[in-house]
Amino acid sequence: MMFQLYKARLKCLVRSKENIFWSYLFPILLATCFYFTFGNLWTFEDYESISIAYVSEGGQDDALKMAMEEAHTENGTPLFVVNYTSEKEASKLLEDNEIEAYILGDSDPKLYIKNNGLNETIIKSFLDSYRRTSITVQTILNNNPKALEEGLLDDLMEAETFVYEVDNGKRPDVMLIYFYSLLAYTCLFASGWGLDEVINIQANQSHRGARVSVSPVHKMKLFLSNMLAAITAQAGGITLLFIYLYNILKIDFGDSLFPVIVTCMVGSFTGLALGAMVGALGKGKVESKEAIVTAIVLGSSFLTGMMIVNIKYIICKFAPFLNYINPAALITDALYSLYYYDSLHLFYINIGILSGLTVVFGFIAFLGIRRKTYASI
Amino acid sequence: MIVKVKGLVKRYDKLVALDYLDLEVAEGEIFGLLGPNGSGKTTAINCILSLLKYDKGSIEIFGKPMSADAYDIKKDIGVIMQNVAVFEALTVYENVHYFCSLYIKDKAKVKELTEEAIRFVSLEEYRNFYPKKLSGGLLRRLNIACGIAHKPKLIILDEPTVAVDPQSRNKILEGIKRLNQEGATIIYTSHYMEEVEQICTNIAIIDKGRVIAKGTKDELKSMISIGEKITIETYQGNENMVNELKAFPNVFSVELRDNRLEIKSNRGKNNLVHILDYLNKNQISFGRIVTELPTLNDVFLEITGKELRD
Repeated sequence: MMFQLYKARLKCLVRSKENIFWSYLFPILLATCFYFTFGNLWTFEDYESISIAYVSEGGQDDALKMAMEEAHTENGTPLFVVNYTSEKEASKLLEDNEIEAYILGDSDPKLYIKNNGLNETIIKSFLDSYRRTSITVQTILNNNPKALEEGLLDDLMEAETFVYEVDNGKRPDVMLIYFYSLLAYTCLFASGWGLDEVINIQANQSHRGARVSVSPVHKMKLFLSNMLAAITAQAGGITLLFIYLYNILKIDFGDSLFPVIVTCMVGSFTGLALGAMVGALGKGKVESKEAIVTAIVLGSSFLTGMMIVNIKYIICKFAPFLNYINPAALITDALYSLYYYDSLHLFYINIGILSGLTVVFGFIAFLGIRRKTYASI
Repeated sequence: MIVKVKGLVKRYDKLVALDYLDLEVAEGEIFGLLGPNGSGKTTAINCILSLLKYDKGSIEIFGKPMSADAYDIKKDIGVIMQNVAVFEALTVYENVHYFCSLYIKDKAKVKELTEEAIRFVSLEEYRNFYPKKLSGGLLRRLNIACGIAHKPKLIILDEPTVAVDPQSRNKILEGIKRLNQEGATIIYTSHYMEEVEQICTNIAIIDKGRVIAKGTKDELKSMISIGEKITIETYQGNENMVNELKAFPNVFSVELRDNRLEIKSNRGKNNLVHILDYLNKNQISFGRIVTELPTLNDVFLEITGKELRD
């Protein structure tokens, strides 16, 4: 009997066009959009030098001029194309959008920009860096005028870094935030299936729930067969997305795939339990419950950087505790730990907390589902 | 008794939905629960099925106390709810099969019973249709097939003909009679008195959560004073004529509305001949004459002072 019920529910789930679109096709479409939209955003291969003007009226600063001319990207492309001109001409060029900014060079160089954007940020960062270095040099020379002759400034000029990246073949990749968040979103989207399955057995939530409640099948048996069907449907969706990300978009998930699969499984269980919990709590309208589940899934995915990548850092900086109760953050952090670290310590912590959340959600759902008689239906 | 409900009280805060309701349904009967919308019929059914908690009273089915965990009782009950409760993503066949498999473990038996139920409600040519492709009447028939496929001993139908076309309604009513002939005890709730009159062997009239009258349809009709209702179409009716007719022996009510004269006389007394004589003598022209025996609506009207469909 259990298998019959499972089979029928599975048919119901996979025949729903809405379910198939949101759980199977939408994540793939979104992954494709991410891939083509952000795929080359952080590479310097297509970098174009920024046009700026340098105004030396009021005291020429040769060091700054030299620094601007020598600045270049990793692959040798000059950072700036510099026009040397008067302030009036520079202002006109900026007004006509011929240049991105101009610098008024004196002992304290000033930057003039028209808009805010990536290029303006690069120019400002460059100038800030120059100012810091020149103040340091000035301070050293004031204290020790022979420092230059003694070669004390050589190291400073070479701007050597004291933090080394351990090369484990894995470069920090902002793109992963999008794809890992998408995977987390797809795992948690199982909450829709979980909600459906509970609504379908609760007599106070749906006509079908009332109908099956008068049958001689134990409610927990019905719940289990329905949930098994939901797990199967969810497994199909997540497998499809994973294959697409891993084999077609070639997204890097680290060296071992097994823990990644475990993460997806636990994440999906969390989603199912979350949906079941919302479905089992209270008598609210089904539409309201669907809205709550969607808001939770989208909200938690948003906080992991699925829509705005910087959110991830903002949460880490200002509200790190959120990452311990946000299922999407736990899933993405588990995936990052697998990608960046050789040790599984962080992975275990994230999966442990995620499993704990799943148990809590599941227990609350159980408390709601075990009721068989209602005050009103 | 197949079903015995005693002193059932159900309150929704201050609203008393069931007010010491007593019902007894004997084996093999078609028991009608008749009452207007909001009278407590569905609440009573939901309490009987242990879907709703109740404040007082007791419910026994097949001689055993009914509860949500009484699976041995539930397996012999078929329920057709007021709202169609089928799965949109399953075909007619799959829906009936699903609900049947909630009751029967044997796969082959489930298949056999599913086919039989589909034949019973005449949905053979729609077996591969999805519910959204079915008309309201066909959908109701599917709902019935899902409820009766496992051949229950007790079938509870809660307003199964709401929003159904006359053809499907007749099929449904005929089907219920057949199920009863095959041995099932039926509880049928409705606010359509014609249906209850047509199929039920025993009837309880319910209003404001209380049984206000019960018995066979003849027993119920004998409880009231109306014996015959004569309606005459005439364009010459006036107040004088109404008063004169009221003076006839055994006539206790005469009303003139929309050129229709409605005369009610006491039970067992036939006044038609005398009334026609009066009309001829006074040269009052008239059109159609309809004589009716009292209906359950008259019973309800006389007991409560309001119409069943008010």
